[in-house]
Amino acid sequence: MRLFAVGISHRTAPVELRESVDFARRGLDAALAALSARQIAHEAVLVSTCNRAEIYASAESDTVADACGRFISEYNGVPWDAVAPHVMVYRGAKAVEHLFRVAAGLDSLVVGEPQILGQVKNAYAAATEVKTTGAITNRLFTSAFSVGKRVRTETHLGEGAVSVSYAAIALAKKIFRDLKGLNVLILGAGEMAKLTGVHLKAHDVRQLTISSRTLDTAERLAQHLGGRAVPWSLLGEALTAADIVVTATGSTEPVLTRPRVEEAMRPRRSRPLFIIDIALPRDVEAGVGKLDQVFLYNIDDLQAIVQENLSRRTTEIERAETIVRQEVDKFTAWLQSREVLPTVIALRQRFDEIRLAELKRLESKLAPLGPEARERVDEITHLIVEKLLLTPTEQLKSTRDETLAVTYSDAVNRLFALQSPKGPDEPGEPS
Amino acid sequence: MALTAWLPFVLYAAAAVTYLVHFSKRDKKAGLTATGLLAGAVVAHTFLIGMQTMEVGYAPLVGTTAAVSAFVWLLGLAYLYVELTTEERAMGAFVTVLLAVLAVLPALDPTPAVRPELLRSPLFTIHVLSMLFAYASFALAFVLGITYVLLFKEIKAKHLGFFYTRLPSLQTLDVMNGRAVVVGWLFLTCGLIIGGVWAMQLHGSSSDSRVQAMGIRDPKILFALLSWVIYSFALFARRAIGWSGRRAAWLSAFAFVLVLLNLVPVGYFLTRSHNF
Repeated sequence: MRLFAVGISHRTAPVELRESVDFARRGLDAALAALSARQIAHEAVLVSTCNRAEIYASAESDTVADACGRFISEYNGVPWDAVAPHVMVYRGAKAVEHLFRVAAGLDSLVVGEPQILGQVKNAYAAATEVKTTGAITNRLFTSAFSVGKRVRTETHLGEGAVSVSYAAIALAKKIFRDLKGLNVLILGAGEMAKLTGVHLKAHDVRQLTISSRTLDTAERLAQHLGGRAVPWSLLGEALTAADIVVTATGSTEPVLTRPRVEEAMRPRRSRPLFIIDIALPRDVEAGVGKLDQVFLYNIDDLQAIVQENLSRRTTEIERAETIVRQEVDKFTAWLQSREVLPTVIALRQRFDEIRLAELKRLESKLAPLGPEARERVDEITHLIVEKLLLTPTEQLKSTRDETLAVTYSDAVNRLFALQSPKGPDEPGEPS
Repeated sequence: MALTAWLPFVLYAAAAVTYLVHFSKRDKKAGLTATGLLAGAVVAHTFLIGMQTMEVGYAPLVGTTAAVSAFVWLLGLAYLYVELTTEERAMGAFVTVLLAVLAVLPALDPTPAVRPELLRSPLFTIHVLSMLFAYASFALAFVLGITYVLLFKEIKAKHLGFFYTRLPSLQTLDVMNGRAVVVGWLFLTCGLIIGGVWAMQLHGSSSDSRVQAMGIRDPKILFALLSWVIYSFALFARRAIGWSGRRAAWLSAFAFVLVLLNLVPVGYFLTRSHNF
């Protein structure tokens, strides 16, 4: 039994192809059912995110790789020619390593992003639901989850915001603890203002206030976001009431000048004000940031934070890779010992059969011995067999190289003419 | 006896080192170990104070060394309470360093001072304990203030680094600082009133030179009254004129320097009324 990872990801396929390959569209269970109907693998799990569509399968023969590739193409209605050049195939330990790296966030577009582990968990849950998993994938995925958990707790790989909007939210949380109960003022009603509004709304802010030079557009956006619009002339009061101000107007002149903010700050006393200037050219005078209790960040500042966080993450990658390697070793050792186990058992059975047969054959010669001496003979022969088998058993079990293990296993099977418990499909399998 | 006397100090110092490791490495296990060590230090300290009480038959609060010891013990307890209720461990690095430094004094001179007849009143114990508890509260406010300023500077300078990843939010620090000052002020006020009432009772009945020195001109009393004025202003300023955040942080940091001066150097060298 071998493990395979077959699929496309942001590393192998362009975004147009990734968009058209989506197993989750009609539900993972439907896709899994269609896959298992083809009977190409013993066990299978489908991992589908916007950046990857991958099949993890355990099967006897290597044809599963091609079959999985074709399934990806046919199930999603994308011509094979368009899919084939982008399909990646990993076998054995490489497949294990790939899944572990995916679960750890090492294979993500943004290294260390936290969602992927949850997506892998969902993929596995869906597969157990429709019963396409088995002993190997069960162990594989539970190991993958523990890799993800170890990387999260033992390294700082996932720390620090790596997008501008998350960096802004993280900053707001460092100033105000949480965003609930905060008043947010958005200046401008364009696309950027809208995006920011949607993002902030998702964080349960108390009130979204939108102000723009034309009240109409502000009102429209306010309606869309479930906030309120304030005429430009009342900007001063709105500023005083706000905790966070996001400026995204198309103005060529700064709309928030130092005197204006200074005046708005006076009745606020020491209540902090967090101003995020995402407009280009800038909406807020640089001097505003010098005012006490005012924290001013523009888009460049936020980008610099993101850059710093990203470079901090790269220093953590090595530590995460080490964890992945350790866990891959652990898993492949388990898989290997599982693989050679039938051979080991058969070998022991064979030797013991010979021993017992010989004892029986010599029955007449042993007859004159007393019961105690016969027991001793039995014990000695048993010990000899044990001693003879000790080294070969250890060698078989400890072979880490997959193909070597199969070769050894095959050789032992043939040399001792063993009957593998696996039965009919065993001898002379083409590969 | 020597070993039991040094044990709290050793444990406070070990806790301080572990809290610092936890703070710099952000290692969860180190954090748990640090809390365990500090709890151990407080338990050992409680045991020591209990033994001393049994030995001499009264609470060992006579003299500056004993006061420092009780202060360390109360601050350790108060900090542990805050840590366990807020699940915030970052402040421990600052608090335990202060504890370890101050714990040297009682370890060097562990024998409880003899209580003069003068201090037999239960008012003495209440006065000392409420003053010391107030100081412990102010120590927490001091640490919260310092960390607030450090974090504030990082965010303001747009250089998010060491403290940004280790400290709770500015608002959290500010709110906790405000609470610590309120609690401290309440106990300080009680302690001062009890001390004043009791001193007035003694004035009539005792001719002890220390009792005669109990007045506003004694540095120990002057400093205590001065810190009461400053903390009262901090309370008033926060509520009435909106001095929260950075101003409140600086104020509580500065005021505690005064408290600490009063507790140690003034207590040892300058006072004529409190040198028991």
